[in-house]
Amino acid sequence: MSSRILPEFDLLVPQSIPEAVEMLGKFQNKTAVMAGGTDLLVLMKAGLESDYVMSLSEIPGLDYVIYDPQEGLRVGAMATLAQVVENADVKKYYPALWQSACVNGTPQTRNKATVVGNILRASPAGDCCVAALALGGKVVLQGAAGKREVDIDNFWVAYRKTARQAFEFAVEYKISANVGKSAFKRMTRVDQDLAKLNAAVCLNMVGNVCQGARLAVGCVAPTTVRVKKAEDILKGKEINESVLKDVAAAVSAEVTPIDDVRSTAWYRKEVSGVLLKRTIEKALA
Amino acid sequence: MKTRSITLYVNGEANSLTIPVNRTLLQVLREDLGMPETKYGCGTGECGACTVLLEGGKSILACLTLAATMDGAKITTVAGLDEDGKLHPVQEAFVTEGAIQCGYCTPGMVMKSVSILAKNPKPTEEDIRRELEGNICRCTGYVKIVQAIQKASEVMASTR
Repeated sequence: MSSRILPEFDLLVPQSIPEAVEMLGKFQNKTAVMAGGTDLLVLMKAGLESDYVMSLSEIPGLDYVIYDPQEGLRVGAMATLAQVVENADVKKYYPALWQSACVNGTPQTRNKATVVGNILRASPAGDCCVAALALGGKVVLQGAAGKREVDIDNFWVAYRKTARQAFEFAVEYKISANVGKSAFKRMTRVDQDLAKLNAAVCLNMVGNVCQGARLAVGCVAPTTVRVKKAEDILKGKEINESVLKDVAAAVSAEVTPIDDVRSTAWYRKEVSGVLLKRTIEKALA
Repeated sequence: MKTRSITLYVNGEANSLTIPVNRTLLQVLREDLGMPETKYGCGTGECGACTVLLEGGKSILACLTLAATMDGAKITTVAGLDEDGKLHPVQEAFVTEGAIQCGYCTPGMVMKSVSILAKNPKPTEEDIRRELEGNICRCTGYVKIVQAIQKASEVMASTR
């Protein structure tokens, strides 16, 4: 185990989606699927072993970020965080995703790391994960029998476990149009750190009244989670200081963080409500 | 496959290589091609010492890139920046501004600086600091490095 040397594996480099599906069908859970590699290779240097690594890098046409005013946003499996950062439509219509991509990793890793890869990594600290959960949307999985879509709400099933089957790989993350006002915020010591806490919100507003809200918090449970009691408090209410105070209290009561290398359970419980409140304020600003 | 045959273009030269698939681009550059100018820092994408450029000036980390997936790629390392023995304006500015102490982070810093200026020829100090987020200097700090990039930006604007 070394940060210089990768363990041995067999590399699969499919040239098309059907070829990738065929390879996965054959090798199934012996295969690690790699998009940008900025996370997988670090994990492998730290001891993760996989008989096969399947790189998506030579499958043409997966590096798209497409926005349509009716259909919404589609982000292909090889679309990098840098592509998302440079996309004016994402910035305008999905600011939570844009803001999360802007601070995820460093400029160099953003040139290779992908949004879909961040979601598939299923880390509770993933910046794009918390943004995706607030925005809603679906992960599109490709298997031999075709594509299926999994709601982001059901996508992370446990710590680093997703609804993806071993014979499938994710080809796209998509979000519908007109999701509402959104924002992302996080707490770190310095910008390139993994978050000790992150949060994203998406608010369906009519005037100053919140018709519905999706509030997501990261680093407080085995997966990124929605805080539904806090969502219920917002629903149908005019957003003011007193409502926000109730929301913050509900968030802190609802989350179940742990102590780890980046922060403590106590701090995360105390601060998650404040962070979420500020994220709501950012979305409405 | 356990090995893959690729063509890797480094600083304009084509290299035909058959390499074990678990080798990083950094290992291939340093060990197989004998080009030690790209540095190993952390190996985990934190420090930027191994920064190299793809076509179009896009900066990537050689330590987190599988060389076997780079068939046909055109890479620039810090040794490929000079023209006919004349240093690149960024290199020149690092020298004149004294933006070097031990020098270990310098190749990565220079490559990142070149990519910053390729994208944004007139960056503000804030732009520069934000873009240098993934490059760590452990000797002294970033003041002179930022000044060097500003200086290079001026020089490049006046000679364009």
